[in-house]
Amino acid sequence: MVLLSSSTTSTRIPVLFPRSFVSKPHFSDYHNPYLHLSKRKKTLFSTLSNGATTDNGAGFETSATAVIGENPLENNPTDSRPKSGKDEEAVGPAATAGGEVETAGVRKFENPKWVNGTWDLKQFEKDGKTDWDAVIDAEARRRKWLENNPESSSNEDPVVFDTSIIPWWAWIKKFHLPEAELLNGRAAMIGFFMAYLVDSLTGLGVVDQTSNFFCKTMLFVAVAGVLLIRKNEDVETLKKLIEETTFYDKQWQAAWKDDTNSRSKTD
Amino acid sequence: MASISFKHFAGLRQSTLDNHHSLSSTAAKLKPIIRLRKITASVNSPKLSGRNLRVAVIGGGPAGGSAAETLAKGGIETFLIERKLDNCKPCGGAIPLCMVGEFDLPLDIIDRRVTKMKMISPSNVAVNIGKTLKPHEYIGMVRREVLDSYLRDRAAGAGASVMNGLFLKLDLPQSPNAPYTIHYTAYDAKTGGAGQRRTLEVDAVIGADGANSRVAKCIDAGEYEYAIAFQERIKIPERKMAYYENLAEMYVGDDVSPDFYGWVFPKCDHVAVGTGTVTHKSDIKKFQLATRNRAKDKITGGKIIRVEAHPIPEHPRPRRVLDRVALVGDAAGYVTKCSGEGIYFAAKSGRMCAEAVVEGSESGRRMVEEADMRRYLERWDKKYWSTYKVLDVLQKVFYRSNPAREAFVEMCGDEYVQKMTFDSYLYKRVVPGNPWEDLKLAVGTVGSLVRAYGLRREMDKIEA
Repeated sequence: MVLLSSSTTSTRIPVLFPRSFVSKPHFSDYHNPYLHLSKRKKTLFSTLSNGATTDNGAGFETSATAVIGENPLENNPTDSRPKSGKDEEAVGPAATAGGEVETAGVRKFENPKWVNGTWDLKQFEKDGKTDWDAVIDAEARRRKWLENNPESSSNEDPVVFDTSIIPWWAWIKKFHLPEAELLNGRAAMIGFFMAYLVDSLTGLGVVDQTSNFFCKTMLFVAVAGVLLIRKNEDVETLKKLIEETTFYDKQWQAAWKDDTNSRSKTD
Repeated sequence: MASISFKHFAGLRQSTLDNHHSLSSTAAKLKPIIRLRKITASVNSPKLSGRNLRVAVIGGGPAGGSAAETLAKGGIETFLIERKLDNCKPCGGAIPLCMVGEFDLPLDIIDRRVTKMKMISPSNVAVNIGKTLKPHEYIGMVRREVLDSYLRDRAAGAGASVMNGLFLKLDLPQSPNAPYTIHYTAYDAKTGGAGQRRTLEVDAVIGADGANSRVAKCIDAGEYEYAIAFQERIKIPERKMAYYENLAEMYVGDDVSPDFYGWVFPKCDHVAVGTGTVTHKSDIKKFQLATRNRAKDKITGGKIIRVEAHPIPEHPRPRRVLDRVALVGDAAGYVTKCSGEGIYFAAKSGRMCAEAVVEGSESGRRMVEEADMRRYLERWDKKYWSTYKVLDVLQKVFYRSNPAREAFVEMCGDEYVQKMTFDSYLYKRVVPGNPWEDLKLAVGTVGSLVRAYGLRREMDKIEA
């Protein structure tokens, strides 16, 4: 990851380009060395950087001109390190002229349908309508990819895609319907069986049961249960969740538990 | 999941509303209660003769400094012991606006006024926060060495004796009302670099000595869970610094921290880039790398000038008061979840504790006892418990996983949320919200969560 790890070289760089050498005087002095550097870096540093590129860190892809685009921050004070990406393109056409500057070493998400930080909905059209299912799918894939390859955030190339542009019915169609089918079936079965059980035990018919407060409450409990406990593991999850929500309270109250003891002692 | 988070959210608003009422009512009632207690205290505790109450404040951070100042102003003989007077502590250094007024801070100790925040989600959706701020509102960024020494100097000006020394241990008294003996190594012109062991007898002790508090050890206050915060101060080229002029960035995501956030904060002439975690402390280097990587375009060319790491308490210690010893600030564990804020709460707890001591001792004329120290605890919990709890719930709901974080960032884009967040952050008071807006927010949040978790399920399917 660190290419210019030798601090001696990097501190020497500015000396190579004295003020008089600066071609674009309207840029700050601070920045100028980069322009020249990036032009010349190949000749100056290619050997150096090749030597230092043994460890490429967390699997970042480096660009062809190995000097740029790496993380500069690990233990090398590189004021004069050439910068990468759009910034440089914007500031110094001189730098890009030779075609040496490429975008950062971190791989960006790329997809023909991903245009300017959002999904190009026109490309998702099917029979004149947007195929939201495919958009959801594409976004899921993008997020999955990002989880394994975290991307640098960028102000020049912001992500503007907002999941809320996908209409609600598309979500329901995608996620809810299969699940709802299952839950409905489950609730119906439980309801039918309970009604049968109650009837056989008490002699109350289904109509009588619906006018009974207790039965109505049980119905509510059953529905809530079906919604909350969808899998066996859900019971454990719920238990943990309850514990978690009260944990912090207990930590705060600890001082007061101590209090009652010591108060009773002093009183 | 969604329905559960909904419950959290609804409950959350309810509690803050309730609390608002209790807050205003306690503020109104506080004075008479104090007067009542004063009488009881003066009946119980013996009068001091020939001298005023002596209190040692261990630690000269915001908590210690403000405690010492309040004590000294209240007529108490105050000793402030700080181990290093020019200590640059590893700290984000953000203070809310109300601290400037409440602690009467001069404006020149604020290096930067942050008026814009950027929150960046795991999928790099960036949300700008701060549109709702009024022109005079900002988050102050201070250097701790400057703030701490200012507060200490003010304490000294009020009559406290500020001593440079390393606190070693505390001998607890064997009989009631007997003094505490403080052992410390003093460093001054006479002792030189090696220091000299000295002792000091005091009637009460305020432990403001931070996360690794020795005072807490001496009173067997118990441990707390802590997060480790890692931070690098990076000097970046001026042109890039201009971007961070008045802007702070928060990165969330599993890559950056599994249970907290990564940050880029502007400091006086550089930026602080860091991250924190409770659950995966050994991976902190990896998270730091990820944070740098996410902020990469904006900090390339930077030079690391300082690397720091520090424990951050996650909850209060089981015991915060024992007899005439009280803990304040980080030593007590007063750092909020979610935002990880501690400077204001440290200074405030120091002051509240000192006020309780001054009241209990009738401006230093009487001995104090545990009940006086407890009064500080009681007031503190009453005033701030709900704030801590709300932030705890927020952290638990929204820092849980990447989909939750996506929803969180989405939610933060809402102007109403921003207004509420800044109001409660800047002024440390809970303003009742607009019920209609609250409802819209709750529905919107549930929507965001459902969408994000829906996508997550789809992502899991891809793997399979």
